[in-house]
Amino acid sequence: MISERSYPYATVLPVMLVVALFTVYPLLHSVYLSLHENVLTRPLDNDFVGLQNFREVVTGYYFWRSLWSTAVFAVMAVAAVTLYGLGVALLLNQVVLGSALLKVVVLLPWAIPAVISGIIWRWIFDGDYGVLNGLLLVTGIVDRYVPWMSQPFSARLCMTVAHVWKQGPLAAVFLLAALQVIPAELYDAARIDGAGRWHGFRFVTLPYLKATLALVLIYETIVAVATFDLVYVMTGGGPADATAIIGWYAYTEIFRFLNLGHGAALAIILGGLLLGLVLVYLRALRAEEA
Amino acid sequence: MSARRARRWAHRLEPMALNVACGAVAVFILAPFAWMLVSSVSGEAELTRRPPIFAPSPPTPANYAFIFTGQLPKDSTRHGIFVWQTSHEVRLLLPALRNSFIVALSVMAANVVFGALAAYSFARLRFHGRRSAYAFILTSRLMPAVAVAIPFYAIVQRLDLLDTYRALILVYLAFTFPFTIYFLSVYFRYLPIEVEEAALLDGCTRFQTLLRVVVPCAVPGLVAAAAFAFMTAYNEFLFALLLTQTIAAQTMPVLLAAVATNPAVSHALLASCVILAIVPPGLLALVLHRYLTRGLAASIAR
Repeated sequence: MISERSYPYATVLPVMLVVALFTVYPLLHSVYLSLHENVLTRPLDNDFVGLQNFREVVTGYYFWRSLWSTAVFAVMAVAAVTLYGLGVALLLNQVVLGSALLKVVVLLPWAIPAVISGIIWRWIFDGDYGVLNGLLLVTGIVDRYVPWMSQPFSARLCMTVAHVWKQGPLAAVFLLAALQVIPAELYDAARIDGAGRWHGFRFVTLPYLKATLALVLIYETIVAVATFDLVYVMTGGGPADATAIIGWYAYTEIFRFLNLGHGAALAIILGGLLLGLVLVYLRALRAEEA
Repeated sequence: MSARRARRWAHRLEPMALNVACGAVAVFILAPFAWMLVSSVSGEAELTRRPPIFAPSPPTPANYAFIFTGQLPKDSTRHGIFVWQTSHEVRLLLPALRNSFIVALSVMAANVVFGALAAYSFARLRFHGRRSAYAFILTSRLMPAVAVAIPFYAIVQRLDLLDTYRALILVYLAFTFPFTIYFLSVYFRYLPIEVEEAALLDGCTRFQTLLRVVVPCAVPGLVAAAAFAFMTAYNEFLFALLLTQTIAAQTMPVLLAAVATNPAVSHALLASCVILAIVPPGLLALVLHRYLTRGLAASIAR
């Protein structure tokens, strides 16, 4: 029997072990890999090469391209998810029949795999047989099918739509929770002071939402930068690397070109990038509060 | 029109406008599912017309029949012949779903048991290293998945667990424990402490207190935590792709990604697979939407 004194350790230990096994060791291993030459097609050359992998990655043409694609997608995706989430949260916070019904279905896209979200939207946007093209043709908006996924800009847009559809509900639920704790008296007071809808939103709702909005922005930036599943099933990084965002690029370095050293270096750069983003946001948040 | 009448009109119009907006969002959310459903009961020939036939008549069960029984459709002008031969992987959907279920249910059970045990200790007990252990577990999730893909593969290979359920379960536990522990420890902390103190005074051990007093009060939280763990495991793709090789352990997202990236796939069959695959998490989301919404909200608001 476990004594009361050792009880907390006994309960925390199993969880700690699993988490540590998949945190500490992988980090050290990644650092080790990134500092050595490690190309699976040349298994015997395993020299220590210092920062050479990082140098090769950072000076490579594809790295900057993928960084650019990542930035473009992240800005589009984070802005769209946040705005959509805010809009849906404001709707859900109303007392009308529609919002009660919307509450039942709003989590559906969030609950299903990102892979499936990608499959669904790729089929909708399909340039040969997609239903979007069909509807646009029937309504006379286009006179021939448009290959949405074959142009860099529209391919990014398609991916953003799929991403918003899947990620938006979570942002909406987070923001709704923050909306619900805003005291109603504040709106009454604002109305007495002659504030209209917009001013109520601008000077009561937004200040109250600031902390949650910052959290949503951080979280959504991490999710967008690390997006992989959608790229895998929707575009395969194309067209012309427009959607080859950094997570996908790291994957191809490792599993197509079998260069573990490059892959690990990229992974560390990506990890550092995300950590940096988190810190910047947290600082901005603290500065706002002060 | 006087100002008062204008205001009365605005009063009547506003709920209508809000309902219309809600309807528009609902259409955006549901229409993709609806089109998948329609595609899944269409013939391939109806989907590959320009424009496609939006309402197949009559709806055909042939796609589902093929996935379940391998029976080829009789009407080859409606369904085509060639695409059925190039889409044979869809027959693996049921084994893949079985794999997904075994992995996700194991992850869920382990999260509820070990997650609740640890979360309760973090919430209520004082012990050495509590703060740093808690901080360590939470920050471990800041690591992007791609960044540790190779080492994960190396660990699993070293443990001789490639292409097994156990590998996926282990990895998903490492992914889900942090959230479960954060979520449940916040939840436990908001339960009234007096009942627990009374139980302890009556001579219950900590474990008995947790089991008999805390758990019955925390059912909604435990249900939400279980559902989150299930969905995370059921939906995960990258590591399932890396750590499995055959249908012995391949989960549904891996199989569907393979089917979907096959350029000669039958769209009708793919749609049927999608519909079958989203039933479990879809049902969870619909049935538990209150628990999940409240749970998600609590995890950020507090």
